[in-house]
Amino acid sequence: MILIRYVEQSLLRLYAQGLMGGTVHTCIGQEGCAVGVVSAIDRQRDMLFSNHRGHGHYLAYCGDIHGLIAEIMGLPIGVCGGMGGSQHIQRENFYTNGIQGAGVPIAVGMGLAERFKGTGAVSLAFLGDGTFGEGAVYEAMNLAALWSAPTLFVVEHNGYAQSTPSSLQHAGDLSRRAEPFGIPVTRTEGADVIAVFEVANRLLGQIRAGKGPRLLFLDTHRFAPHSKGDDFRDREELERINRECDPIQRLAAQIGADTYEQVRKAAEIEVDIVLQELGVQ
Amino acid sequence: MAKLTMAQALNQALREAMDEDDAVLVLGEDVGVDGGVFRVTEGLLDRFGAARAIDTPLAESAIVGVSIGMAAHGLRPVCEIQFSGFSYLAMQQLEGHAARLRWRSRGRFSASLVMRMPYGGGVRALEHHSESKEVYFAHTPGLKLVAPSGPRNARALLRAAIRDPDPVVFLEPKRLYRAFREEVPDDDEPMALGESQTRREGNDLTLISWGAMLQPTLKAAEQLAKEGTEAEVIDLLSLSPLDDTRLADSARRTGRVVIVHEAHRSYGPGAEVIARLVEKAFWYLEAPIARVTGYDTQVPFFARETDYLPDVARIVTSAHQVLEA
Ligand SMILES: Cc1ncc(C[n+]2csc(CCOP(=O)(O)OP(=O)(O)O)c2C)c(N)n1
Ligand SMILES: [Mg+2]
Repeated sequence: MILIRYVEQSLLRLYAQGLMGGTVHTCIGQEGCAVGVVSAIDRQRDMLFSNHRGHGHYLAYCGDIHGLIAEIMGLPIGVCGGMGGSQHIQRENFYTNGIQGAGVPIAVGMGLAERFKGTGAVSLAFLGDGTFGEGAVYEAMNLAALWSAPTLFVVEHNGYAQSTPSSLQHAGDLSRRAEPFGIPVTRTEGADVIAVFEVANRLLGQIRAGKGPRLLFLDTHRFAPHSKGDDFRDREELERINRECDPIQRLAAQIGADTYEQVRKAAEIEVDIVLQELGVQ
Repeated sequence: MAKLTMAQALNQALREAMDEDDAVLVLGEDVGVDGGVFRVTEGLLDRFGAARAIDTPLAESAIVGVSIGMAAHGLRPVCEIQFSGFSYLAMQQLEGHAARLRWRSRGRFSASLVMRMPYGGGVRALEHHSESKEVYFAHTPGLKLVAPSGPRNARALLRAAIRDPDPVVFLEPKRLYRAFREEVPDDDEPMALGESQTRREGNDLTLISWGAMLQPTLKAAEQLAKEGTEAEVIDLLSLSPLDDTRLADSARRTGRVVIVHEAHRSYGPGAEVIARLVEKAFWYLEAPIARVTGYDTQVPFFARETDYLPDVARIVTSAHQVLEA
């Protein structure tokens, strides 16, 4: 989580220096979701379809800081040759896509393919709360439930889509949207990485046992702006969530100051080395 | 008369249209509080309230579908899609319903909506955020398709698009939003949809372009002038309907034509322009018509984007070939 945060902060810095194109959507504040869920998967076979806010998912999946930063800098040594950028990364069983909701049916299809082959692999689809606006999400959920796809839907509910709060976009209770399809929903706090891991682990076990798709609904907070631009949210509210909902501070309290400092230092050095290799700061 | 950027000019056009006609409203993702990704709808929420500057969920298909329904029942919705690359989610509504309502109802109904969206490259963005797929819309009967090339015609065209009884896809070249300023008259400036404009006169060669590509095309014409070649430059402004009379008149006079666009080459808009010229000016042509275009691949991320987009050098080289043929 600390490593992810340092990478995200570096990306914002490099962007401000004009070294990157497109835009960057950082997951600062949401690292607990990425690390908790991805730590529970079987990296040898499970598939992960991430979204526009996918750096944390990617780093938790493979730790490839160098390939990620180089990609967003548009360099040929980036993980996709510098052609895809932040939102279009593919490596092994990891995919992202900049079109909201588009990856959800694709992830279901991947799961179905693996079930057909009998590999026992599970596919994961990450989506934000705002993406519940897109019709493809519901079409995918229906098929997943109807055909009992081995898919875990992971919702990162940070309460906003860009500038628009969830309350202005969604009628009813978002966390229950999957239930009418017969998809069980488990709701957990994203800032508690260990709890996220435990729940994800349990749900993945159920899916692997052939019980059909599951949805993990994570309440979380985005600390930084949507991308690198303006933030219209209330200052005091932002300060409060930074104080109370930081997954890294939570973990620090659990593992103790000394261990935390060791991990922090190691992450800092690792990111610095990559930045040096790339000749940036 | 004020000197405005294209983003400001578009904003002015929306404000004027909403002041003038209560039936005009804007809707889209983050168009209210945020004022839109490129701030084209800035201030509309404060001035007209949330009932006429509507923040929608992420739901492109529903945004366009709801706009069709509103239009059929007397409103004049101007919906925004954040980037043209997201519009394909709404294609069914646009192609299957907006474009067909008038035809189907034998003229009793029409979808008088405007679908605004930023398109094209040159802002260092990625994939869906940089592409030019005009032909998806221009190929569809029942849709009009316009693309301004600067602040002044952007304002005039948007006003005309909002008044138009048919669905208009309004492509805003995103690299021009803040590229330069232009005097925009205070008074409404009537402009018909479906008419191109001659931006530079000349008798040696015809250069045809639109949107953001007009700037390098005009620069190429200046460079050619230094070599003694006077190029005529035509700004299409409207891709559908296509003003082929002006194009053919010019081609008959110069006999030599180069088309410049950032869309992919195969089946690109240039192909239709060439077909019209072959139909209307074939016997006057002195050389094969040339195209300077994007390539048949996705627009690469920023570091190699300039290799993809047509530039002055490519246009001049192509012009030389056509002149020497
Ligand atoms: C189809 C489509 N429409 C619009 C966008 C532009 N866009 C990118 S992120 C975003 C908000 C997404 O909100 P949410 O799903 O809650 O994810 P969050 O950004 O909060 O992580 C929007 C509107 C897009 N990428 N794709
Ligand atoms: Mg969100």
